[in-house]
Order: sequence, then structure tokens, then C-alpha cells
Amino acid sequence: MTDAPISARGVARPEQRHSGAVRLFRRFPISAMVAGIVLLAYVTIAVFAPIISPYSPTDIFVGSPFEPPSSLYLLGTDNLGRDVLSRVIYGSRTILLMAGSAAGLSALIGGLLGMQLGYRGGLVDEIAMRILEIIMSIPSIIFALLIVGILGASAPLVTFTVGLLSVPNVTRVVRAATQSVVAEEFVTAARARGETSLSIVLREILPNVAGTLIVEFSIRTGYAILFIGGLGFLGFGAQPPTPDWGLMVNEGRGMIDASIWPVVSPAVCMAALVTAVNLFTDGIMRIFGPAERGRIS
Amino acid sequence: MRVDPILRLIVTRLSLAFVSLFAVSLIIFSSIAILPGDTAERILGRDATKQSLEALRAELHLSDPAPLRYGRWLAGVVHGDFGRSLVADRPVLPYIGAYLGRTLVLGGLALLVHIPLSIGLGLLAAAKRDGPFDIGMSIAVLIGMSVPEFVTGIFLVLWLANDLHLFPPLALIDQAQSMGSALLMLALPVMTLNFAMTAYVVRQIRSSMIDILRSDYVRMAALRGLPPSRILLAHALPNALGPAINAIALNASWLVGGIVVVEVVFNYPGLGRLLVESIRFRDVPMVQGAALVLSATYISVNLVADLLTLLINPKLRTRTA
Repeated sequence: MTDAPISARGVARPEQRHSGAVRLFRRFPISAMVAGIVLLAYVTIAVFAPIISPYSPTDIFVGSPFEPPSSLYLLGTDNLGRDVLSRVIYGSRTILLMAGSAAGLSALIGGLLGMQLGYRGGLVDEIAMRILEIIMSIPSIIFALLIVGILGASAPLVTFTVGLLSVPNVTRVVRAATQSVVAEEFVTAARARGETSLSIVLREILPNVAGTLIVEFSIRTGYAILFIGGLGFLGFGAQPPTPDWGLMVNEGRGMIDASIWPVVSPAVCMAALVTAVNLFTDGIMRIFGPAERGRIS
Repeated sequence: MRVDPILRLIVTRLSLAFVSLFAVSLIIFSSIAILPGDTAERILGRDATKQSLEALRAELHLSDPAPLRYGRWLAGVVHGDFGRSLVADRPVLPYIGAYLGRTLVLGGLALLVHIPLSIGLGLLAAAKRDGPFDIGMSIAVLIGMSVPEFVTGIFLVLWLANDLHLFPPLALIDQAQSMGSALLMLALPVMTLNFAMTAYVVRQIRSSMIDILRSDYVRMAALRGLPPSRILLAHALPNALGPAINAIALNASWLVGGIVVVEVVFNYPGLGRLLVESIRFRDVPMVQGAALVLSATYISVNLVADLLTLLINPKLRTRTA
């Protein structure tokens, strides 16, 4: 990027004289900033769930079944008389923990694998990419249903499965980003200094693909929320009585004539969360987009 | 000898599809075979007696080594023998055939609505760029991309079925009395699928159309005094179709996976719901068959989509693979 542009009279416009960080921040759209605040709110609610929620999420008959929203139960109660608001609040913990871990796992494995393959190239790279291509040619939902449905559904297994299924996508993107870095002079210089390949990958390549990796993590988080929500809805996610949004929607939909609140509340929370993640991803893509890819130092 | 690059590409893609299919069969089989405890115990659960366990083990040949069982299963599948359902105690194949047919009906109908709808909306958004319609579409696109299908489906049921009584809430199409009532049942699932798919194509068409509308030949056409609608449809649209077809093709392969959840939401008797139900009942041959056929459908759709994109894009077509 060039320095502050010169205006017609040959004087640099003062408002353009900012450090790199501020310039990057300025490119961050307002919608993404709002989304960031919403995400922060979700995380805060998840962290302080025990303080915020009025009742225990699993205690039955804190009210009578299917109570409409009232000052006592802001979002009403479900078929077992559990407080819907408390379950939704604790549900944010379940989904954020699961989706965050799954995205983190795929970013970690896919990042390391992508950097190694992109740096080394050659036959190993060729074979690995073919294998990943084959894995990606199988619909993830079927893969996940087989693993989770047969090994027994549980939150850790679902997290692990969803994370692993995203590894090929992350690997592909990080590998491509690495390949464009490998040709740069500083990598050649590091090689000439006799640094080990692990050190080159971690010290020279990683800082330059970090932006790509952050964008991938963000994309994968949104994907994982949808995926885990879907599995939860099918009954192959977290198991009852865990407050899981997908599961809550599934449990409540058969009794939707009695009360819509046990279904609508988690559904809206989930839709809003994914919307926020997607908007936020759009924003950080603008910062780490192709032109600025990786330059976060 | 020079081989036609397109032919070579088609052969490469075809062989890759076959390798994928083989890998899928291996994964499907081993995910069930590697598990702790044997299938007989898992099927019978707590009601297992010694005799029933023994009988079931003998029936499933569970004492044979896994590679042998895999070979036998695969050979059966190739000959159209998917084994017998443990729950229904009937051959799996006719079931899968009927359920696959219904899944294809739903998916095909969804695509039939999807293609003109998304191209039309994308065109309108690009033509009325930055107007209220475009902004409204951008918001709808964002929501469409963010809301999970089961949430969309349930909201549509609440609104159009429970409130307005326009459509039945469930799509029990095998009990439909007439063609008309079957179409009514299909309306909500088709809408749900389209809600998720449309966003992506609209975005794609809008951005490529906006680029094209800025190009010299479009400006030239405008200078020549051609009406805007003619410029849009006759000059710009054909050039935006390539990326659109690519996006639609991607959606078609997404559809094979996304349809699983939608079938469960509407109790639609398709292959996705069959898979989910068979997993619940631990009906191993049915799970294997349904998973394999669904994966094969996915791989075929991907193959067709790949080839279609390739044949339509002259840049990719001339580049030797």
C-alpha cells in the first residue's frame, strides 16, 4: 500500500495520516462492527450463564408446563415446565463451545497440514490433495451421521467429527496461501540460513498466512454452528437434558400447538448468531482480503 | 497422439468419481464394522438372549474376517443385492429405490423453482442496483445464508400451515390422494430448500452483472440507444450465466445433503429420512444401502455439475487439464 494520498494541492490530507492498524480498522464496515458487538454479547451471556439465567436449565417444573411468557418466565416454559430463557442462555454455552472448538480444531490441523503441504510440495502434496479431494466428495452430513449415529451421539464426538470434516477445506485454502508465500525472498533467505523446515513454516510462513487462517476460522465457525445445530435437530448432537438449541427445536416442534416459545426462542437465537458470524466474517475478509492477505503484524 | 483435452478431462473426472465411490463404500462399511461390540449385540440391545445373538451372528456372518465381509457386501451391492432390512425383514433394494425416487422428485422440483427464481432475482437486484429492492435482496440473501434449514422450515410451517392453512404442515407424500394434494405437500419443503439456495446464486449473479454492466460493450449498446431491458437480457445476461451455472451446480450438490434435514422436518419419506430412521433403529444393511446410494447421488450430481461448468466456460475448456 502507498502512503497517504496527495490531494490536488499537493498537501497530504490530515485525516488519511494513520498507522496501519487504524487504516485496517477503517476498512471494517459498520455492519461487521455491530456483528462483532452481537458476538461479544453472545460470548458474555455464555460465560456468565449461571449468573444471568433466572433458573437452572435442567430443573423440571419450575413452572407449570407450557406457560406463556410472563414476568416470572420471560420466554415461557416447555413441556416439562423448564424455564425456556434459562435453557436458551445455557444453550449459547453449548453451541459456542462446540462450534468454536470444532472450528479451532479444523484451523489447527488444516493450518498445519496446509502450510506443510504448500511448503513441501512434490509427491506427498499431490497424494495428500487427492485424498482430501476424495474426502470432500462425500457429503459431510452422511459422514457425520454414520460416525455419530453409530458410535453414539455425544457433544465431544460431534465437535470432533464436525471439526475433522472441515479440515480438507481449511487445508486447501491455507495451502494455496502458503504457495504464494514460499516463492518470496525471505523464505529463500531463511532456507539459505539453514533453518529447519518446521522453523520456516512457523516463523516465516505462519505470520504471512495468519490472516487467511483467521478468515477460515471465522467461516468454519459459522459453518459449524449450522452443522452442529442440524445434527442436534436430528437428535445426533448433544443429548437430553442438555440445553442445546437444535435439540430444543426438535423437542418442541411436536408440541408447537401448546406453545411456540420453546421452539421459536432457540431458533431465533441460532439464526441471529449465524447472521452475526457471517457479517463479521465479511468484515474481516475485507481486512485480510487478497490484497492484504496475511499482513497482520 | 493428441487426445482431445475435453475428453481427457471427462475421463479424469469420471475415474475420480469412481475412486470416490469406492472410498465411500469402504468408509461406510468400516464405520460400521470397526465398532466395539458386534452388530448383533447392537441390533438386539438389551433384549438379546444367547440364542438370538447366535442366530443373528450366523445370519450376518459376523465371525468372518472384515475384509471378506466387505468383499461380499460390495459384490452384493454391485449385483443389486443390498441385503435384508433387519427391521422390516425385507430386501433393502426396493425400499431404497422408492425412497430415492421421492428424494429426486423433491430435489428436482426444488431445482426447477430455484433456477428461474434465483436468476430473475439476481438480475433485478443488479438492474436496480442500490435501490430499495437491491438492499432488500441483500438482507434476504444474508438471512438466507444464515438461517438453518430446520429453522426456516419450522417458521414456514408456523406461518403458512398453522396460521394461514395454505399448505399441509407435513409432506406425507406416499399418502397423497391426488397429484394436486401431492404438489401442495411439496410446496413447503421446496420453499425451505429454495430459501437456503437462492441467496448464493443471487449474490453471484448480482456481482457478475454489475461488472458486466460497467463494460465497454454494454456502454456502447447504451450509447446506440438500445432499451435498458434489451441490454440487460440480450447483451449482459448471457455473459453472467457462466458464474450463475457454476453457483447453481454447487447448490445442486449442496441439495443432496441439505435435503436430509428438510425431509425430517416435513416427515417426507425420502432417502435422507430413511437414513436417519435406520440409524436410530440400528438397521445396519439399510443404513449402509441408504448412505451408499445417497453418497452416489451426491457424487453423480457433483460430476454432472463439474462437467457442465467446464463445458460452458470457454476459458476452462481450452486450458488443458
